[in-house]
Amino acid sequence: MKEIRLVSAINEALAEEMSRDEKVYIIGEDVQAGTFGATTRLIDKFGPDRVMDTPLSETAIAGAAVGSAMTGYRPVADFMFSDFMFIAGDEIFVKAAKWRFIHGGTQQLPLVFMATMGGYAKLGAEHSQSPESMFMHTPGLKLVVPSTPYDAKGLMKSAIRDNNPVVYLYHKGLLGLKGEIPEEEYIIPLGQADIKREGTDVTVVATGMQVHFTLRVAQELEGKASLEVIDPRSLEPLDIETIIESVKKTGRVVVVDEDTKRCGVAAEIMAQIMEQAFDYLDAPIQRVAAANYPIPGGFMEDHVLPQIKHIKTAVETVMG
Amino acid sequence: MKLTKDQLIKLYTLMVRTRELDGLIINALKTGKAIGFFHSGLGEEAVSIGGCTFTLKDDDYLYPHHRGHAIGFFLARGLSPKSFVAYHLGKVPQDVEGPTPVERGIFGVSGTIGGSFVLSVGMAITAKKNGKGQVTACFFGDGAANRGTLHEAMNLASVWNLPIAWICENNLYAQFMPFKDAFAREDIADIAASYNMPGVVVDGQDVLAVHEAVQAAVARARAGDGPSLVECKTYRYRGHSEGGPDIAHYEPRPTEEVEAWKKRDPIVLFREALLKQGTLTKADIKKIDKETETEIEALEQYADECPRPQPEDPSVLDRLLYAE
Repeated sequence: MKEIRLVSAINEALAEEMSRDEKVYIIGEDVQAGTFGATTRLIDKFGPDRVMDTPLSETAIAGAAVGSAMTGYRPVADFMFSDFMFIAGDEIFVKAAKWRFIHGGTQQLPLVFMATMGGYAKLGAEHSQSPESMFMHTPGLKLVVPSTPYDAKGLMKSAIRDNNPVVYLYHKGLLGLKGEIPEEEYIIPLGQADIKREGTDVTVVATGMQVHFTLRVAQELEGKASLEVIDPRSLEPLDIETIIESVKKTGRVVVVDEDTKRCGVAAEIMAQIMEQAFDYLDAPIQRVAAANYPIPGGFMEDHVLPQIKHIKTAVETVMG
Repeated sequence: MKLTKDQLIKLYTLMVRTRELDGLIINALKTGKAIGFFHSGLGEEAVSIGGCTFTLKDDDYLYPHHRGHAIGFFLARGLSPKSFVAYHLGKVPQDVEGPTPVERGIFGVSGTIGGSFVLSVGMAITAKKNGKGQVTACFFGDGAANRGTLHEAMNLASVWNLPIAWICENNLYAQFMPFKDAFAREDIADIAASYNMPGVVVDGQDVLAVHEAVQAAVARARAGDGPSLVECKTYRYRGHSEGGPDIAHYEPRPTEEVEAWKKRDPIVLFREALLKQGTLTKADIKKIDKETETEIEALEQYADECPRPQPEDPSVLDRLLYAE
């Protein structure tokens, strides 16, 4: 094992997959420098033909990824901030998601749309969103949200090898997070949740940064409540079975989601639990999510984004 | 490249077949056999046929224009029209012989106009990376030229010197919107200069003029000299989509405009030229018409006999949604 930062784990995954398969390449704005570090120094080994700096042309980046994926390459398109993915809405939500479907399954689009997500950095409404619900809502896309260096690397390798469009969102608050990964190669299949902490009283489902907030709450409540923290790691496919198994054991659920509360990922997960495990619930499910505002800049951010205290309150509520 | 007699006859035959297949779907809609949308391309046959025939190699990439639901492009690429007819009649095609569209570089089209530009950039990236001299031909309409994607794609294609031929099928209307009220310049080809590439305007009713201009654009791309833009001025005879009105803004299209364009019908113009130079005789023309008629009848019968999909079996959709 070795200790590595999350952003370096992504970098390693990209480097390994680019070495393994010459069809893999990276395209995006300033990917040669690597704005957040995920693509930094790949230019040294793979050159400008495989680490392609583009003008500020998000639709061209996404469209190029779709066009070259359908013709045999495996592009990783970097959008820097996930907020910028909205600029390429047609290419992501219509072209990438629907192309195979509307063409009778005759083609496959093995591509990755990657971007940082999330708030707590006080970067304002256009650089702080957690847009998971948009992608999870769209059939034809897959969606990965890692929370640890180990997951970030293993899931990126799976995302690149997947023959479908995969959206890969990593939290900008976790870039420097250190964690252990094996020296040798490994992959993590999509659709396999990870139980980040075992417990018996309350099931808490969380992704990305919220996993770490929840683990802190679990620690704070040790002796009072035993939390089982489940990180789905990919939201499409979603490993609902692992979540349901946990609910059957604990009977109490909190779903934590940095995405906006209205129509968010938490709402979907809650609904699935209600459909599949209602009889096992001992209390109404609690949801912690961002308030229904754009994410404000500066200190007002704290009033919109989920906070550790909110998770704690929600756990106490379901505990009665 | 001077076309041989056989090649000229093939161009003519392909145009006639394109027109009759388009007409087949229009008739099928009238009789209630066909389902869904159809956006006829009657009047525009010279662009797809002239642009794609004897200009592209089998492994070149082609993003077709959507008029006539790309039937001219399919025929020009040597694809069987069986699937085209079956799908429009809501049937599942059976035992279609010959190459698949993907094997002829056609990866499909979609209904959100202007997506073609950026996807073509991706295809051209593939072509360049493959290093086998492949070219991408992107056909689009005047309506698509109003999308911002055009700027991003044309700029990037020029900056990266990608092997693309941009070919505009300017039929002067985007749904009900007249081109003159939608575009700030008289010619779309003018914008080529902004992206540092050659731009030419050709008579889109003249199949040989289209052929020559696209041939030059493809040759330039294949030689590694980057993209170029060809604008073909043409006209559609029908309204935007079958069953909808044939209007400019909110009033009928001017009769004199429609009549003037019909006097320069691309098939009639080419037929007269071929007759005059002795490439075709009247008997040849009759034979081509008869063969096309027979083909159309057989295709309709084929589609009639194809099965309908079974909506009660949703596993079909599961297979389409995600690849293994």
